[in-house]
Amino acid sequence: MHNIFGGLAQGVIYSLVALSLVIIWQSTHVLNFAQGAMAMLATYIGMTQIDRGIGYWWCLVISVVVGMVFGGVTERVLIRPLYGKPEINPIVVMVGFLGVIEAVATAIWTSTTRNIAAPFSQVFFQSHGNLVYLSPFIIFQVILAVVIMLLVAALFRFTKLGLQLRASALAPEVARLLGVRVNRMLTIGWILSAGVGAIAAVILASGSFGLFPTDMDGVFVAGFIAAAVGGLESPIGAIAGGLLIGLAEQFILAYWSPNVAPLGGIIILVVALMIRPQGIFTRTVGRRV
Amino acid sequence: MIRVDNLSVSYGAVKALRNVSLQASPGLITAVLGANGAGKTTLLRAISGLVTPQSGNILLGEKSLLRMPTENICRLGLAHVPEGRGVIAELTVEDNLRLGALASKVNLAEGLETQYAQFPALADRRKKYCATLSGGERQMLAMARALIAQPKVLLLDEPSLGLAPLVTSELMKLILQLCESENLTVILVEQNAKSALRIAHNAVVLHLGAVVASGDAKTVADDEDLRRYYLGLVE
Amino acid sequence: MNWLGSLRKQETTHARFICVLGLTILALVVTIILPPVADSQLASGAAITIVILGLSWLIGWSGQISLGNSGFMAVGAYAAGIWAHHHATTPLVFTLLLATVAGAFSGLVVGIPSTRLRGPYLAGMTLAFAAAITPLAQNFTSMTGGEGGLFFNTLTTPKWFLHQFGGINAAINANAQWSADLAVVIAGVMFFFMANLFHSRSGRAMRLVRDNDVAAELMGINLPRTRTLAFVVAAAFAGLGGALFTLLNATVTPETFPLTLSITLLTLMVLGGIGTLSGAVIGGIIYSFSPNLVSYVNSLTGVNPSSNLGANMQGIIFGSLLILTMLFAPRGIAGVGLKIKHSLQSRRKLESVENVN
Repeated sequence: MHNIFGGLAQGVIYSLVALSLVIIWQSTHVLNFAQGAMAMLATYIGMTQIDRGIGYWWCLVISVVVGMVFGGVTERVLIRPLYGKPEINPIVVMVGFLGVIEAVATAIWTSTTRNIAAPFSQVFFQSHGNLVYLSPFIIFQVILAVVIMLLVAALFRFTKLGLQLRASALAPEVARLLGVRVNRMLTIGWILSAGVGAIAAVILASGSFGLFPTDMDGVFVAGFIAAAVGGLESPIGAIAGGLLIGLAEQFILAYWSPNVAPLGGIIILVVALMIRPQGIFTRTVGRRV
Repeated sequence: MIRVDNLSVSYGAVKALRNVSLQASPGLITAVLGANGAGKTTLLRAISGLVTPQSGNILLGEKSLLRMPTENICRLGLAHVPEGRGVIAELTVEDNLRLGALASKVNLAEGLETQYAQFPALADRRKKYCATLSGGERQMLAMARALIAQPKVLLLDEPSLGLAPLVTSELMKLILQLCESENLTVILVEQNAKSALRIAHNAVVLHLGAVVASGDAKTVADDEDLRRYYLGLVE
Repeated sequence: MNWLGSLRKQETTHARFICVLGLTILALVVTIILPPVADSQLASGAAITIVILGLSWLIGWSGQISLGNSGFMAVGAYAAGIWAHHHATTPLVFTLLLATVAGAFSGLVVGIPSTRLRGPYLAGMTLAFAAAITPLAQNFTSMTGGEGGLFFNTLTTPKWFLHQFGGINAAINANAQWSADLAVVIAGVMFFFMANLFHSRSGRAMRLVRDNDVAAELMGINLPRTRTLAFVVAAAFAGLGGALFTLLNATVTPETFPLTLSITLLTLMVLGGIGTLSGAVIGGIIYSFSPNLVSYVNSLTGVNPSSNLGANMQGIIFGSLLILTMLFAPRGIAGVGLKIKHSLQSRRKLESVENVN
């Protein structure tokens, strides 16, 4: 079917958001509800630099760096005071932050869509005279997502840093007793997560539909559901989940009704809940014995 | 050597420790005994920096540990095996050990080898997730994780908790042996006064946050009143 | 003296009724005093109070975080709007009832899968619901009138009320006051319902499920049913509030209920005080006068209201308020009031003890 590739392309964006949530969950056990908005803002800052004449790759780098700084600062200023408090507090604070960021972005750049010229062609390939809805840019997206996923998985599985990040989220006190600088790990978790999230927004902006301030709301939701369904502990699960939702949306568009497409993510979530009635990841936070 | 001087710790309005003083020397086991709620765990947590005392001082050698972050205290060669052991169930045995070696300058491969030699049961289960370990195995892991960093001071919070008597006595023997062979300064918090006093050189008895007795372990163990009122060792 | 005592503690339904009646009459008097412009604002605020009451019940009492109440408002609003669009002569009570039931139904649909979710997952799911509303409303154009939305006219001021007003702007003034009075009365009724719910066995069961679900289950409380019921109630309140909100504005479009409205609701509830009745009223009042608040901040900071920044100031202010409140005063204004009251009470007790000595 021709729209598999379209679904994959969109799914990649969801996967990257899901991956950023996996990173932040594995490092801090907090979920950043403003992740999409933060990525959007970082990308806008990168995009405006293009007006000054820099190229695509610099835009990507700037967006990622700005995103990372943003993530680190947010953790120190907004999230640090909330450790030890009920777990809904950071959720509510980040939701408020989401509102502020989107309002600020709309104030500065208005709600018109902005686009970045992609470095790879977005023209679809032809096969025997028929359009195969695959373009070099889509291939680039998929490769990029897979590479980042492998890097993230390797980080958590094999590196000292990854081990410290996981310990800081799973058992912060025990980690401290073992010499892990837990506070620093938490900040690093936010920095890495925001960096990956920014990449998702840049790819969205490079696509045919561009980016506008509230664009990442739907993307965040889909990425969130992908992470929840695919596994907050598993980078591979996050990627798989993202691609699945992207494909499901195309499926609904093609075979059901385009009107119902916004509900794609929710439908998947409900189906996942039905398959696993004990709930998605209602595992208790580790028992220390 | 660890010296605690007139330490007082409060949790809000509750005074958990009142003017507690003690001294623990290298190569010796100092047992800290007393009933539940006596303040034993709080004492260890204050030493390793997890709680901030209201007054008093804690010295490691010449250095004051007050106001030092826990992460840094660990790097000075102090290892604290917390209440409940603190084995991270979501990680494998080997990951827990790797974590233990992180902050020290020990060579990881050598450290692992040493600990696996000391605790063969852990070697057999090195890739297993810790949720599958038994109580005794977790205790071994907690000890190995503390020891892999080659600490100079070892704080143990109720290591015998939940363990069968046979396992407990093996564990105590091990603690004594390690203390002597590595010249460790060991502070051993235990509710199980009997097994602790068997291996300890010195003992401190806490009651409601204050020291009610301290001195030679044998003297403390033989004291009738102490046995009856504070150590739960009624004949 | 006993009667007054129970009045103050609101122990009986009777006492509660009298309290609420008194407060409603007070509010009506306020609508007479205020100019018509303020009355319209107050009317919207009353509608929002109804929604916040439901939200407080859900988040504060049953401990389930929901970012989706703007969605429930939309369901009620569109239900009322679509009906009113085609049947302009239906009595208001019926339209509002329809909206409430529609809201309740959507609460059931969202609530059932939500029983399996906790914390961030529940937040995410309700976020998904709220974010889907605007696109859905845009897509189903035949039903919802698409981008253009629907127009209707149901809040007609009765003649006997109009007669009270004279002068050039009689009709406008009368309409404004009538809407405000209507909204205030309806809010008063819903306030009474919620007050009873708080003090009922359901309220206690809800709190037990929130704080200690193992204990609740042991006591025979059906956990999923209790949790779903919380959603149904909250969504019913939201549907009613949403319908009232749109009927006051005589129009509903896909942009009326964006995700940011859910954030605003959350902010107002937290500012007022999670899980409290007075908090919901405070939140509603703040909403009523948010245009005034925004222009005040604009004048303080020198922002031009017609610039891009000016147009988005409300979003910035409310988002920031939510963050600041959660960081520094998570119990909201009602909570701060309670603290002051308690410290005064304990000081009084201390003084009386000292006086005895």
